Amino acid sequence: MSVFEGLRFRRVYSPIHNLDPRIKFVYVCAIFVAAIIFWELLPLITLFLIQIPFVLLAGVKREWLRSMRGAVFLAAIIFLTNFIFSFIGAGYIVTAKSVENAVAMTLRFIVLVESFSIFFLTTSPDHLGLALEQTHIPYEFCFAFTTAVRFVPVLAEEAQTIMDAQKARGLELEGGNFLKRIRNYIPILIPLIVGSIRRSLELAEAMESRAWGATKNRTNLYVLKMHRGDFILIAITVGILATAIYTRLFFAIPSLNELLGSLF
Amino acid sequence: MAIIETKNLTYTYPGGAKPSVRDVSVKIEKGEFVLVTGPSGCGKTTLCRCFNGLIPHFYQGELKGEVTAAGLKVAEQPICELAKHVGLVFQNPENQLFALSVEKDVAFGLENLGVPREEMRKRVDWALKLTGIYDLRERAPHELSGGQQQRAAIASVLAMQPEVIVLDEPTSFLDPLGAKKIFEVIYELNRKLGITTVLVEHRLDLTAKYVDHIIIMEDGKVVLDGEPREILSSKEARLIGVGIPKATRLYQILQKDRVKLGNAVPLSSDEMSALLRGVLKA
Repeated sequence: MSVFEGLRFRRVYSPIHNLDPRIKFVYVCAIFVAAIIFWELLPLITLFLIQIPFVLLAGVKREWLRSMRGAVFLAAIIFLTNFIFSFIGAGYIVTAKSVENAVAMTLRFIVLVESFSIFFLTTSPDHLGLALEQTHIPYEFCFAFTTAVRFVPVLAEEAQTIMDAQKARGLELEGGNFLKRIRNYIPILIPLIVGSIRRSLELAEAMESRAWGATKNRTNLYVLKMHRGDFILIAITVGILATAIYTRLFFAIPSLNELLGSLF
Repeated sequence: MAIIETKNLTYTYPGGAKPSVRDVSVKIEKGEFVLVTGPSGCGKTTLCRCFNGLIPHFYQGELKGEVTAAGLKVAEQPICELAKHVGLVFQNPENQLFALSVEKDVAFGLENLGVPREEMRKRVDWALKLTGIYDLRERAPHELSGGQQQRAAIASVLAMQPEVIVLDEPTSFLDPLGAKKIFEVIYELNRKLGITTVLVEHRLDLTAKYVDHIIIMEDGKVVLDGEPREILSSKEARLIGVGIPKATRLYQILQKDRVKLGNAVPLSSDEMSALLRGVLKA
């Protein structure tokens, strides 16, 4: 089952997990904006660092590090393209400034990945579904979302069973070139798709039997309520955004080189 | 007045060559515990689908005759209206749970009906406690065993407080112990709350003792309909291939060998041992 381990969701409680997903989303957007309006290294380092406490508070350090490692490849590409273009633009010489620029662009990307991964690592799918519902997105979409998440482990298990069954009949999954490998998976995919269609019919039957669509004014067992933590997060978000815009407009941000040069 | 009644019901699925249910006329009284059994493919499931309007509304196809449930003509009412009166529990527990927690699933029907939150909370807790899964209310469905999932499915139907619960082979995905527990839950609901219960089941050994009324179907038709002791000791039931309870079968064999144990036909091993004890004492 190791392949599918990553698809399972877990319920964790922490101050960050309990925050209202809507506010968390606004926070992510604010970080997004702040990261876009700066192209200097110093503020981007600050943005990167101020998010670390969130990770620690949520207790998702290991998962977070794993997702950051996933971003390394893209980050490397961003660094190289920026570096090469500024290298060519500067007349084939390496300047400290061009290196700093390339690093800044890479860090901007990393800050975006960081904030999104914090959001998705600390928001449980049912919380997210609830948030979708209470932002007046049509219920059909929210239902499709939570049901999809609900059936991920079920389908993963079914895929495993089909794989075992086909292997027991002599199907070889490994070996061969890239195209051959893809073709190997067809005998797994077809039963999986057919099974899912049949399952969806049964689901529809069960939904109908539980008065699906009986009234336009659906009620909900849960309500999202704002707690103290949510108000603190709003304050932090507004603070970050205001500081960022103020700094952008009224300060000349020194580059790291100049700063180090003036100090020593 | 019967709570569910069919009159000359004949139904063919779209594209079906022959009717799946033929000329069925049955009456189910209020508060009864009814068992529907018969060989696979005899039309039991089809009959269940007629009770809450999945047939004809969901499946279409050709319906003749008449079905009334809780005083409503099934052919004229939408499924969501019928769902308030007739709850249906399906075979595979996994495919009846859609939400990410048990509690949310039990609330699903009530949310659809637009029940206010406080009322919903009360009914959800009530249903969870009755089915004995209150402690599991925050778990995700895939974290539960098959038996617990099926109990969650029963709770979610129960929360809607229907007058009739129809259970279509609710234990075919469960192990014997899980099945036994489910039957006990169902029986208690029937006795305590007086909910009319229609159970489709092959395992008569475990269920026959609970039942007031048995309907046996074969090839789309109702062949036997009546009091359990009478029907299960009849020759026809045995020939159709219904799983007669072992105690009943033993009684029959002894009777054939002219060993008379008394007039009451036993339906379970408890009743059998009581009979034997009585004879041995005498």
